[in-house]
Amino acid sequence: MKTISTATKFLMMASLASPALTAHAQDKFRVCADPLNPPYSTKEQSGYENKIAALFAKQLGQELEYTWLPERIGFIRNTLKAENDNGEGFKCDVVMGVPAGYDLTDTTKPYFHSTYVLLIAKGRGWDDIKDSTQLASLPLDKQEKLKIAMFDRGPGTEWLQKNGLLEYGVPYQSMTGDNEHNIAMQIEQDLRAGKIDMVILWGPMAGYVQSQSSKNSYIAIPMQSSPDMKFDFSIAMGIRQGDEKRKQQLNDLIAKNLDKIQAIVAGYDIPLLPIPAQTIKKDDDD
Amino acid sequence: MKKPVKNWLLASTVATLLAAPTVSTANDDLEKLTKNPANWATWGGDYAGTRYSQLSQINAQNVKNLQPAWSFSTGVLRGHEGGPLVVNGVLYIHTPFPNTVYAIDQKTKAVIWEFTPTMDADVTIPVMCCDTVNRGLAYGDGKIFLQQSDTVLTALDAKTGKRVWSVQNGDPKLGMTNTNAPLVVKDKVITGISGGEFGVRGFLAAYDIRTGQLAWKGYSMGPDKDTLLKPGKSTTWENGKVTPVGADSGTSTWKGDQWKIGGGTTWGWYSYDPKLNLVYYGSGNPSTWNPVQRPGDNKWSMSLWARDADTGEVKWVYQMTPHDEWDYDGINETVLVDQEVKGKMHKTIVHFDRNGFGYTLDRETGELLVAEKFDKSVNWATHVDMKTGRPAVVPEFSTEHHGEDVNTVGTCPAALGSKNQQPVSYSPQTGLFYISGNHLCMEYEPFEVSYTAGQPYVGATLSMMPAGADVLTGKKDDSTNLGQFTAYDAKTGKIAWSNKEQFSVWSGSVATAGGVVFYGTLEGYLKAVDAKTGKELYKFKTPSGIIGNVNTWEFEGKQYVGVLSGIGGWAGIGIAAGLDDGSSSTNSEGLGAVGAYRSLSSYTKLGGTLTVFALPN
Repeated sequence: MKTISTATKFLMMASLASPALTAHAQDKFRVCADPLNPPYSTKEQSGYENKIAALFAKQLGQELEYTWLPERIGFIRNTLKAENDNGEGFKCDVVMGVPAGYDLTDTTKPYFHSTYVLLIAKGRGWDDIKDSTQLASLPLDKQEKLKIAMFDRGPGTEWLQKNGLLEYGVPYQSMTGDNEHNIAMQIEQDLRAGKIDMVILWGPMAGYVQSQSSKNSYIAIPMQSSPDMKFDFSIAMGIRQGDEKRKQQLNDLIAKNLDKIQAIVAGYDIPLLPIPAQTIKKDDDD
Repeated sequence: MKKPVKNWLLASTVATLLAAPTVSTANDDLEKLTKNPANWATWGGDYAGTRYSQLSQINAQNVKNLQPAWSFSTGVLRGHEGGPLVVNGVLYIHTPFPNTVYAIDQKTKAVIWEFTPTMDADVTIPVMCCDTVNRGLAYGDGKIFLQQSDTVLTALDAKTGKRVWSVQNGDPKLGMTNTNAPLVVKDKVITGISGGEFGVRGFLAAYDIRTGQLAWKGYSMGPDKDTLLKPGKSTTWENGKVTPVGADSGTSTWKGDQWKIGGGTTWGWYSYDPKLNLVYYGSGNPSTWNPVQRPGDNKWSMSLWARDADTGEVKWVYQMTPHDEWDYDGINETVLVDQEVKGKMHKTIVHFDRNGFGYTLDRETGELLVAEKFDKSVNWATHVDMKTGRPAVVPEFSTEHHGEDVNTVGTCPAALGSKNQQPVSYSPQTGLFYISGNHLCMEYEPFEVSYTAGQPYVGATLSMMPAGADVLTGKKDDSTNLGQFTAYDAKTGKIAWSNKEQFSVWSGSVATAGGVVFYGTLEGYLKAVDAKTGKELYKFKTPSGIIGNVNTWEFEGKQYVGVLSGIGGWAGIGIAAGLDDGSSSTNSEGLGAVGAYRSLSSYTKLGGTLTVFALPN
């Protein structure tokens, strides 16, 4: 019995000591990211999100620490919102890229704005396409020859549906279980191999695809948003709801470094649009 | 040697003849085992999936004296679904990932053997949407069959735990995983696939129990050669009669090639009728996440299936929720009982769907007999048209009808269904089915930004709230309970009685000849109720919340009741984290969840334990 009570005391002491440990953990800039998701992030830290994280950590004088997990359904739950196994703190404090106003996290001010792009491989008989609406008005025999990727979610598929082109879509999963291959890589390969000739793809991914071939291999046409179909989105950083201090800190860093950040993003062939005035979410107006 | 061909044919015939006894042995053996109530040899207790036990030592009078007899920690923290198997005195349990299997000697309570497959957590865990549950084992041919999370199906020697064979059932790189319990049928072991949220196209597969070789595979959608639907021969319920399906019915209600990522996964429970030689199960929700983007009925997602056990050929198929807009995944179990419906005896199949309707069909023909709400708060459809077999959808509760820019409020049930995967039980004594249910409604709020694998899109926020209405009448009553335990007559579609539960009931029940029904609750109680009246007769708080199934068996003359506790799964993360506390304008996994989550976590913590109950000596 004596040993047990000693053990209990020790545990109590350990838990009393925990604020010190937490303070120590705060000395690190702790990010959760996908280990293989170019152009966003890679384990080699070659993605633009890695570069921005490194910039911030440096300015804060903190060590940059990663927790890696493939970004699929459950990513936020298993990273930003997951407690460490020792019960002290969370697996990380920041997810570098989420859409502004994302409902699973609180979000910082946006740091760039991009759009979905209609990406067409040149030399496949579609070089005269200058506008996405041209696809919808093609004669039927030409439409039937379309080899355009179609995802199981996202506005590209909605656009195909509204323009009567769903039948010609080549189906792709928006996410796979493959931890050695991601969607942008798959699309890039299949475009090259001629399995598909075109795709409506989110700006950063379209930038990645283009960066893997010699210049001018693709026609890239930004998709135009309409009131019932949104193609352009602002990207912000994700933090846990209620983590106001960190939100302020990150917002300050974003404001201070906006030009540098945008230069990093632009370096990845990502189409950039002006960041629109932030729309404030109704349940976020604290 | 002169007539090699003939000799070869002869040899093959002899081999077939020799093989034949083995074939029937595995089947007869399992049937015999399930007929002896000392065993609990399949997930459902028997091939029909009734989860009824002939044992009556524990009865409505003495169940109040029940006591925990012994317990066993599984050593795993994630959600524990499924239940223990007991075969010839040996108890077999399983865990969620890493899918450890224990064979336990009931006399000494010692582990006879244990087996943990080698699985790469980096590969498997990220693709399992809803915690890494496993719904249990199958026994047959002296082997224990384990359907691993990473889709590998493994046969173990039941005596030693040594691996006999393993086969890859799916490709995790495509988002395929497994959570289901397999079912041994004749010389085959049947299994399905999970991963609908990745756009995986579902299938049911049968493997040779001796070698692991694939015997047949029938997809939920696609050309007839994939679905194993035989045009002109396979039937469905249409125009008030059993009607042969036309050619390629698995592609004709899809646009272009969308069926290739069509969903319809098969992660539920499978049952079998040895006389009809048919395997029964349900297929899940269609993929392409946004319903607007997949026009058509999306056949045969959301359907009940009857397949020939030898060939996989479809006898009949019936779609419950054409063009799903609500995530009413149709995978729930199918129970096979013979009942008199409207004055005529039928071999029926009974299925309680996530969509809130209880379906009774003739399992020989696929004729639709009864389709009624087993929770009257259900409002997405007024009724099922018995002639067309289609639900009469209420436009107000259709996200698509509203357009994507308008909130859809108060749709009942919520996406997790009036009932989820936890299997029902059936008592031939009362003629009633016992349903572990949810009692929630939901709200879709569009114009939220979602982000999957780096791609932003306009999604919807799903909030869930208590149904706040009476199960028996559907009248609003400001109730706040999230669960119900309901007794239902599948002959007439009438609810006999229903008990409120504070949280969703996520544990499969068992009914016994002692006139008692057992089930578990999310707070961790094992409960016994009177099969006739629903009156609570006993409860005991186990170490963690129960999402496992309660099973019962006999050992050395004593009846035991056992259940795995261990909160997790969708119940742990979906209910706990995805639930609205009732206040408005909160979000699905954010602040709004905190209240309800706190309330469940104040009752129970993680941790897998088997608790075994018996009457005192």
